Amino acid sequence: MADVEMKPADSKSKTGDTKGSEKKEEAPKPKPSPVSEIKSNIALIERAVSTLEPRFTHRVLRTLTALRKRIDSTVLRNAIEGVYIKDTPEKKTLLSWIPEASANEQAMEIDSTSAPAKGVAQPSEPVAEGEIYLRLLILHHLQTSPETYPEAIKLAHETVEKMQKLNRRSMDPIAAKIWFAVERAYELGGELAEVRPLFLAAQRTASLRHDDETQASLINRLLRNYVHYSLYDQADKLVSKTTFPTSASNPQFARYHYYLGRIKAVQLNYSEAHTNLQHAIRRAPPAKTAPGFYQAVHKFFIVVELLMGEIPERGLFRHPVLEKALSAYFEIVKAVRTGSLSQFQTTLTKHAAQFEADKTYTLIVRLRQNVIKTGIRRLSLSYSRISLRDICVKLHLDSEEDAEYIVGKAIRDGVIEGRIVHEKGWMECGTQKGGYGPEVSDVFSRRIGFCLELHNESIKAMRYPLNAHRKELAAAEGAREREKELAKGIQDGEIDEDDMSPDF
Amino acid sequence: MAPNQLKALYEDLLRSFNARPSDLKRCGVLLNQLKMGLIQAGLLVPQGENNLEDLVISRDILEIGAFWSIRTQDVPSFDRYFSQLQTFYTDYSSVLPPSKREYPIRGLNLIRLLTQNRIADFHTTLESLPLRADAISDNPYISHPVNLERWLMEGSYSKVWNAREEAPAEEYKFFVDSLMGTIRNEIASCEEAAYESLPLKDAATLLFFTTQSDLLMFAQQRGWEVNLAASTISFARKGEEQMEIPKQKLIAASLAYARELEQIV
Repeated sequence: MADVEMKPADSKSKTGDTKGSEKKEEAPKPKPSPVSEIKSNIALIERAVSTLEPRFTHRVLRTLTALRKRIDSTVLRNAIEGVYIKDTPEKKTLLSWIPEASANEQAMEIDSTSAPAKGVAQPSEPVAEGEIYLRLLILHHLQTSPETYPEAIKLAHETVEKMQKLNRRSMDPIAAKIWFAVERAYELGGELAEVRPLFLAAQRTASLRHDDETQASLINRLLRNYVHYSLYDQADKLVSKTTFPTSASNPQFARYHYYLGRIKAVQLNYSEAHTNLQHAIRRAPPAKTAPGFYQAVHKFFIVVELLMGEIPERGLFRHPVLEKALSAYFEIVKAVRTGSLSQFQTTLTKHAAQFEADKTYTLIVRLRQNVIKTGIRRLSLSYSRISLRDICVKLHLDSEEDAEYIVGKAIRDGVIEGRIVHEKGWMECGTQKGGYGPEVSDVFSRRIGFCLELHNESIKAMRYPLNAHRKELAAAEGAREREKELAKGIQDGEIDEDDMSPDF
Repeated sequence: MAPNQLKALYEDLLRSFNARPSDLKRCGVLLNQLKMGLIQAGLLVPQGENNLEDLVISRDILEIGAFWSIRTQDVPSFDRYFSQLQTFYTDYSSVLPPSKREYPIRGLNLIRLLTQNRIADFHTTLESLPLRADAISDNPYISHPVNLERWLMEGSYSKVWNAREEAPAEEYKFFVDSLMGTIRNEIASCEEAAYESLPLKDAATLLFFTTQSDLLMFAQQRGWEVNLAASTISFARKGEEQMEIPKQKLIAASLAYARELEQIV
């Protein structure tokens, strides 16, 4: 589970909300070498700090996943050498964290980094944000091999301390990423439980400082931590005591909804779990970019949908990303759909290990009663009158007595319409309700509400570059000026009518 | 309180608890004294590093307290003891040797949640058990409440009724009675929906009543019409509820749409 979740975690950061604005600034280049990319990233971060525009930092962080896969010790070392011209204590500490490069990495260095290393010259010392960014890269690098896990934890600690000492608002987006790396470091080191107090303290500070991004990231870290140890009670309390910042990015929201969905599902609040998981799916990046997250969410989504008494769409299981991961769930769905208890039981035992690993086992066990309900509903649809004995045989129930109670409960819960005639020992089924009523208008108004909200939010999400309208104004001014001149020219007879363009 | 005094009290408690039948009154007195002692020694809610032996003893005392509360039928007190024990079971699980009373107490807690109809809490607690999901069925103390819950949810009430004698520990039986009360109310509400009328005799079997007078009392409570001459019970149909058009809601919704549309256009 852990690994499945981690992958999407970063790749998700690619889907930012400011895509439109930066397209014109950043022409698609052929892939630059990692070193030059790091350098240009640092330059961007500096620009972000000096112009107070977190947008640039976000853009840097969006490339993190792609970059992370391409860095190694030498790349990092070269980048640091390039960024820090003078020998400063910061440079030394940074360099000391990088593990010695192995032989093949040395070889790689030549073709990848030698040429552009001199490309961007850094005139002065980089800002603190740049240093933290470099630390983030080193952290990610340390997490690639098991030998350096303890070191990663140490570096994580030092970085966090440094970050908290600096306390700069322009660092917040990077800080959020650092916290993610901290969690990962602890998880790989196998001490996930110990990091909780650290997160809690940091969360408190972040919420006091209105540092929304760090807060969002930390709430997710904590929730993940609790859910990992099945501490749903604490997780629920955390959710009720905190407010998730509305300005958080989509990926954070997707994760938050995913954890909420899981908590609600455990608490039998299926309809809310369903909405939350649906939000998680909608907010998540496309399936191809983050297959792990997509699959994990869908696993819970399907189980919750079944628990609500609905059957997931068949098309879901044909989705290229999901098909293989969900095969076991598909069999469960088939068993529930046919209402066959024995088929359900065999499928459950067959795939028990997988469900256990997905942490859906206990949820799936709860499906048993849904299987029975579906079975009864099928019977009530196909028969107008059926004896309790036949129900018992068809649903593989243990005794007629049980069947009577179960049918009674189904009637009370509104699963079927009908009544039991005890003296004769049969169940009479009533007619189904018509499809019109207040429920229909409820569903309708819910959908309209969703569409309206979507519309309003997209309007809010539109961005206009600062002072862009000035340019337009200037252009309009110029046009008017020209027009005047032209008019004057015509009046003076300097320009012939024929010279003018026909559309004037 | 001096440590050796505490120790003497603890041994006294063990003696009175293990005596057959247990000296409940004396246990209660001793428990109160011991708890005071534990607070003074900082062991009731331990923090940080503590002597391992002390921790085991304080856990023992609290466990006995939990059992004692059940035997004296004091559920809120059990609740308190259980939450105090949580610290020992979760936070110190890696240090302390496992207690053989842990699962009985956890199981009792599950049954308590079940009888109070706190199903959501029941599942949350179940999820946080340090057990693998497939190991639950092998643990008699846990599987008992789990099975009960499953049968309750399915509606196999007769199985719940039959399982009441199969309790894995003495203390579980205390909850059986209140559980039966819960079930009876469940069944009664099912019957109201599912039957038009029932013969008295059958109603008694369905509700697990042995005497007719019990049944009549119960019927009176629920407001059922009992026809003694024909010896049947008829359930007042709540009638097809008149479907009303939710005018206010519709108007409010239309107005909201109009407002939103105006904003868009």
